[in-house]
Amino acid sequence: MKIIKISALWCPSCILMTKVFNQLKCKYPTIEFVEYDYDLDEEKIKKYDPGKVLPVFIFEEGRELERMIGEHSYLEIETKIKRYFNEKDV
Amino acid sequence: MWIICFRYDLFLMEKSCYNKIGDFMTYLDYSATTPVEDAVLESFVTVNKTFIGNPNSLHRLGVEANQLIENATNQILEILELSEKEIIYTSGSSEANNLAIKGIGLKYQNRGKHIITTAFEHSSIYGPIGYLQTLGFEVDFVKTLKNGQIDMNHLKSLMREDTILVSVTAVNSEIGIKQPIEEIAAILKNYKKCFFHVDATQAIGKLKLNLQDVDLISFSAHKFYGLKGIGCLIKNKKIVLEPLIHGGKSTTIYRSGTPAVALIASLAKALRLIYENMEKHYHSVQSIHQQLKEFFKNFDRVKINSNDNCIPHILNISVLGVKPETLLHALEEEEIYISTKTACSSTGESSKAVMALTHDEKRASSSVRISLSHKTTQQEIDHFCSCFEKNYKKLTF
Repeated sequence: MKIIKISALWCPSCILMTKVFNQLKCKYPTIEFVEYDYDLDEEKIKKYDPGKVLPVFIFEEGRELERMIGEHSYLEIETKIKRYFNEKDV
Repeated sequence: MWIICFRYDLFLMEKSCYNKIGDFMTYLDYSATTPVEDAVLESFVTVNKTFIGNPNSLHRLGVEANQLIENATNQILEILELSEKEIIYTSGSSEANNLAIKGIGLKYQNRGKHIITTAFEHSSIYGPIGYLQTLGFEVDFVKTLKNGQIDMNHLKSLMREDTILVSVTAVNSEIGIKQPIEEIAAILKNYKKCFFHVDATQAIGKLKLNLQDVDLISFSAHKFYGLKGIGCLIKNKKIVLEPLIHGGKSTTIYRSGTPAVALIASLAKALRLIYENMEKHYHSVQSIHQQLKEFFKNFDRVKINSNDNCIPHILNISVLGVKPETLLHALEEEEIYISTKTACSSTGESSKAVMALTHDEKRASSSVRISLSHKTTQQEIDHFCSCFEKNYKKLTF
């Protein structure tokens, strides 16, 4: 079970969301958080087909469960975490 | 072949009005880049041929070249009315912005790791800030008022003990929003550990600014009819930066390598020329801007995003329901050149800056930038208006 973040350094929404992502990383140490750079990890992110709007958050457990695109609040992402990850896992 | 060469020669003579095969064109993308002034290009050629020495060399030819750089530097600082500053010449604004942000961040990270910026910056500001974020820096965005100016009270509330840098663009490149630089500088004077960086790329040559209380200023010559490939970072003499390019002392310790003497001289020349008639040029652009604004009132689906707090050189509009690229290419077919977002912004479906100003996704996803110059002629505007009307009908049918 993991959360994948695809973002770019030059993207202001990504800078904003990195702050949220880092806060969630601290709060949920048992969840695997993976970060990819839109420009530098081109080959690795191909399979996720991230599109043109960044950042992209992908909730994955063997398969993609859901993706969130663009800016979201801490609470919105945390709600998804609670939906997809069992309480014992987080 | 002869015809092409002849017409290319015409293009060089008539500057912006003809494309490279000699057809009439309407260039309305001056905020992306400007055509070089003949006198600037001549100056570049003359200096290249005359001053052949490496400014780092100890012999007479080197000393002469070095002296020319010093003269150019003094002239630039004098025109901009700056004292106690030094200039680091760069390849352009992107490098200058990177040097300012990474240079401060890496050098002063022991003081703190907090940076403040706005939603109206160029990607060459976000890039180095995003990079520093990967090194553990925290970043906050200051809120803006309805007119796009930053909210001073919010800025004050964001300031922390560990804030080491505030980076604000003087004029936004997409919509043209002006920021009250002097007012921001006055606030930041109370925070001794914090440096103030201004990306003045879209402001220099268009507006007279008081930048004396700004710690670091970036700009590029090709935005004011200079050559591409030269820009600078002006900084307070007392500030130390971590260089991006290491390799020993050149004319500055902050950027190793042989200085581009002729480009530096051409930058000073372009700046001097643009400052000679800046006020007159401003009024001429303002008049065209007003004319276009009136024209766009005839179209229901056109929303004007640029407001009274914007420079007249940039007119950002949204044609609701029409993809910016579609409009751009339709006008391109008529030899009219405008832009979608800024030439340097990367991927993304909608404009972050228009979204931040209007909070309207429809406007943000359909915006285009028309950028004007004192060189824009009535003939060009007439051509634009007639082609816009024709294509508007086609695209919104």
